[in-house]
Amino acid sequence: MKDGARDFLVEIGTEELPPLALPDLSSALADSIAKGLAAARLGHGPCTQFATPRRLAVLVSSLVARQPDQEIKRRGPPVTAAFDASGKPTKAALAFANSCGASLDRIGRAREEKGEYLYFAGSQPGRATVELLPDIVAQALAGLPIPKRMRWGSGDAEFVRPVHWVLMLFGRSVVRGKILGVAAGALTRGHRFHAPRPVRIADPSHYAPQLLKARVIASFADRRERIRAGVTAAVTGGKHRALISEELLNEVAALVEWPVAIVGQFEDRFLDLPREVLIAALQDHQRCFAVEGPNGKLSPRFVAVSNIASRQPARVVKGNERVVRPRLADATFFWDTDRRQRLADRIEALKAVTFQSKLGTLYDKSLRVRALVQEIAPAIGADVTVAARAAELAKCDLLTRLVGEFPELQGTMGGYYARHDREPEAVAQAIGEQYRPRFAGDHLPGSKAGVAVAIADRLDTICGVFAIGQKPTGARDPFGLRRAAVGVLRMIVELALELDLKQLLAAAVAAQPVKGPQPAEIYDYMMERLRAYYLETARQPGMTSEVFDAVLVNQPASPLDFDSRIRAVAAFLGMPEAPALTAANKRIANILRQAGESSAAAFTAIDSSAFEKNEERVLFAAIEASRREVGKLLAARRYGDAMKSLAALRTPVDAFFEAVMVMHEDPHTRSQRLGLLQAIRELFMHTADLSRIGT
Amino acid sequence: MAAKRARARSVQSFQDLIFTLQSYWSEQGCVILQPYDMEMGAGTFHTATFLRAIGPEPWNAAYVQPSRRPTDGRYGENPFRLQHYYQLQVVMKPSPLDIIERYLGSLRRLGFDPLVHDIRLVEDNWESPTLGAWGLGWEIWLNGMEISQFTYFQQVGGLDCRPVMGEITYGLERLAMYLQGVDSVYDIVWQDGPGGRVTYGDVYHQNEVEQSKYNFELADVAELFHQFEALEGECQRLLAAALPLPAYERMLKSSHVFNLLDARGAISVTERQRYILRVRALARAIAEAYFERRQALGFPMLKQAPASS
Repeated sequence: MKDGARDFLVEIGTEELPPLALPDLSSALADSIAKGLAAARLGHGPCTQFATPRRLAVLVSSLVARQPDQEIKRRGPPVTAAFDASGKPTKAALAFANSCGASLDRIGRAREEKGEYLYFAGSQPGRATVELLPDIVAQALAGLPIPKRMRWGSGDAEFVRPVHWVLMLFGRSVVRGKILGVAAGALTRGHRFHAPRPVRIADPSHYAPQLLKARVIASFADRRERIRAGVTAAVTGGKHRALISEELLNEVAALVEWPVAIVGQFEDRFLDLPREVLIAALQDHQRCFAVEGPNGKLSPRFVAVSNIASRQPARVVKGNERVVRPRLADATFFWDTDRRQRLADRIEALKAVTFQSKLGTLYDKSLRVRALVQEIAPAIGADVTVAARAAELAKCDLLTRLVGEFPELQGTMGGYYARHDREPEAVAQAIGEQYRPRFAGDHLPGSKAGVAVAIADRLDTICGVFAIGQKPTGARDPFGLRRAAVGVLRMIVELALELDLKQLLAAAVAAQPVKGPQPAEIYDYMMERLRAYYLETARQPGMTSEVFDAVLVNQPASPLDFDSRIRAVAAFLGMPEAPALTAANKRIANILRQAGESSAAAFTAIDSSAFEKNEERVLFAAIEASRREVGKLLAARRYGDAMKSLAALRTPVDAFFEAVMVMHEDPHTRSQRLGLLQAIRELFMHTADLSRIGT
Repeated sequence: MAAKRARARSVQSFQDLIFTLQSYWSEQGCVILQPYDMEMGAGTFHTATFLRAIGPEPWNAAYVQPSRRPTDGRYGENPFRLQHYYQLQVVMKPSPLDIIERYLGSLRRLGFDPLVHDIRLVEDNWESPTLGAWGLGWEIWLNGMEISQFTYFQQVGGLDCRPVMGEITYGLERLAMYLQGVDSVYDIVWQDGPGGRVTYGDVYHQNEVEQSKYNFELADVAELFHQFEALEGECQRLLAAALPLPAYERMLKSSHVFNLLDARGAISVTERQRYILRVRALARAIAEAYFERRQALGFPMLKQAPASS
């Protein structure tokens, strides 16, 4: 630890913070404080974040006590402006001296081209850390990503929720300052009910342990793990298992400071509800975890996480059961009523529901999707009748009460209702899968008809939203087009579907009621999503943005074809011949560009008897052989093998460049040699433009 | 023992619940008002909330407001849903820093010990498109059940709230069901005294049946459409005459007429938005007119310094 370095702790005590935003707020605060310290040249050790419903805190370890002195050299105002006629220093001169932290007599002069200026060279003493901290914290708070800031009382301060206290300690002393209208001190608060009195923190390192005594687990991650363990332990008695989704776990961790898991029960009859409905009812409304029995079926109980160690836990359990029961009763009522009307009988009602004002009703959309499905299904080997029926019924479940109550069950419920209506199983399955993948890493639809509907639905939405001029910009993506595009691409690539994306986009664009951009623009957008997919999701060695661009040059209409190419190029780059051949491609591209491609002879027009040098003949023969072989491989989209075969060109190409002067003065010789290069370039270009790779 | 004492103190009848909350908030310095004598969807529509939230004047009040939501009617057959029910509304402006503690005090007064019952504040932000108003806050959970709404008003009628009004809304029926341990709203004991036991069902069941029938089946759609137009016109005329309070009452009526039309299924999805925007336009104009009127009066309530505590 450096001289005088101490731990720094800041805690903002608030009313209950929004649970979904809490993790982001916490990490943003820690990041911004670290950034502020770096900008102020204050060295420190690791930062620890704390976040509970009532507090955001950051502990910075071993923070230096003072900024390092700074050597500065600064030019001030011109001397002519620094002194008045009587030789007295002007305001400008004094302000400059002041800003250098020096008296005027320590300010020198420097002559430059344009005249003489005041000049200061010296060392500016570093400021004490305690003086800088309040501003660093205030700025970090001002920059937090708060969706909606609020005011309270008659103050002007704005924050996520009203601020009650601010704790700022540098070592054992309070950092004096006002944050969001509150004077900083050494006091925090414990649990709202278990430990309502203020708690004095003597040293930053005491923070978490002292709060623990006051029934607050300050660390978000610790609390989450404690909840996971508590929920798990609450039901393991009889081979039961709590279903813990990370999403719900995070939300619950953001709702409690002192988690205590409790188990409640409900009547067996509710187990007749579809599993997804039961889970949604417990999770969405009550933030409860569902429980699975040994047979993998849901068990008539749930785990809730309370925020107190109740003196009478049975009353908390009973209370929660009283709330869960009507929720499940509602869900049962909806489930029963919904099934009284066939999905098919709801088609007419789709005409009354707007999909998007300019893009028509859900009925219009379902017609467009059905038309598109009829193009996709045959190409991927799906049953056209099944897929078309699924498309026709796909949106009907949006009119059901259960989906109104639990929007995330769209599709899933459609599948259940279709099955109940005795639609063919394949139709029910396709309807049930249409929204998959719902999130990054989610399963893809399991049936071909499901895939056809899923792709058609998304392409229709993408083209429609582009048509009304709402394509995503920056962070704005109100229609979720990024996810839609990635979903389509994942299905095509990961399920190895042979689809002409350009053709499908053209069809989807033509079907929109509004005229918008050309399909090419949407293709470009989707290719950028494909790039992100390769760079972020499907990462593997050799997949770089450059490699992507090298393949994109050919604008492959089929994403599957694109995939084969990019994998081939990435693999090729790992071969020993790759560096020489990419360099050769670059060189060839340059030469051809300078010479103008039209000056190259067509390969078939090359007169091999006119070659002067043996290297030309050898290269010509190698190209001829490659053209025959590579042609066959490319036709079979065996890009990897094609690249391997092209690797054999390395030696003759190297030898050619070594021995032959391409830009020969005789136009015929030159055109012949350019023709050879052109032929090589074409051979590679069939797969990708290697000249774009490497520097 | 502690539990027994808490139960002994705890409130039993529906009317005790109201008395207890009213006297508690009276002690907190609130003006105890009576319900507004017109149909409205929530306590927020009472002038004591909507209009008093506007401008710089301080204001603390509490009142019960019968709330009508025609689409929530269930012909008296659903144990939880009513087209007419009660809210107890508390507003404090500027919102005191300890307003949550004061609210928790009211729960203690009702007999809820926060070390027995799990009381939680769960984010729930409020927005009323018809009133051009929004605020941030929570629903309050008692052992997982929502018993109150808590909102810090940020904007009302499109105007920034400075200072901010804090609004607390108790769902009285829910609280009563919980306190009395009954599973149907109609089983709530309203009064159990020398005159015998009277339940919520005795008082309101017939009303729910008949009003549901009116709301869903018999309300005269053509007449309601006509009323809406007439009320909107009259509201605008009153605004032109700089009479924000009478104008506000026309707006309240038009809003209720809209809700009835909605219950009759007479308004399509696209039209719905248009009607909401029309009511909102009135609410905004009224908010501005009210502010101007209070300003012209010199914001009279600013002069009354709060009594020293």
